[in-house]
Amino acid sequence: MKKYLWLLACVAVWGSSAAVAGDPVAGKAKSKPCAACHGPDGNSPAPDFPKLAGQPYDYLVTALRHYKSGDRKNAIMAPQAANLSRRDMEDLAAFYSQQSGLKVKY
Amino acid sequence: MLWSAAAIAFMAGAGSGIAAEGDPAAGKGKKTMCAGCHGIAGYKTAFPEVYSVPKLGGQHAAYIVKALQAYKSGERHHPTMRAIAAGLTDQDMADLAAYYATDTPRTANK
Repeated sequence: MKKYLWLLACVAVWGSSAAVAGDPVAGKAKSKPCAACHGPDGNSPAPDFPKLAGQPYDYLVTALRHYKSGDRKNAIMAPQAANLSRRDMEDLAAFYSQQSGLKVKY
Repeated sequence: MLWSAAAIAFMAGAGSGIAAEGDPAAGKGKKTMCAGCHGIAGYKTAFPEVYSVPKLGGQHAAYIVKALQAYKSGERHHPTMRAIAAGLTDQDMADLAAYYATDTPRTANK
């Protein structure tokens, strides 16, 4: 029984890390510069700056990657994303995707 | 009563800084093309890259308008969004933004 539980725990950990590569705790620590515009939990108080809270993980990673590559152009986000590693992007995306805010609206 | 309601509506419009006044009810009637992707939980765009489409429920109206304008001008270049935004007027964008910015009980969780 104990052995079986271990196996279950391993599968659970493997399953969750496969879906989201980033670490939300590390992401929170790295989110300080983002908070000025996007709010401390990604629920931006300013109408011109998008809310990030609850946005899908892979959307956030893709957006940051596009800002860094220049595929998506924005005078504020370009210099911010330029300094982020792939790992930083994944950690930030893990943090913001787990905050509650945005919803799918049909 | 009607007068004060009109005054409040006017002030809200003046304060929002959005060029066109958005009507959430009108936006609801225009969202058909949006709902096919943004209305499905976990939906992913497949071209040119595979990733989840952003959630719009509760997003700032001003940001949604800005994003749609950037697609229309070509500043943002996701092919599907460019094609859709090309057919939207400023009024359409404001209405859609007002619809999605308003979080209602119709909002699906997740």
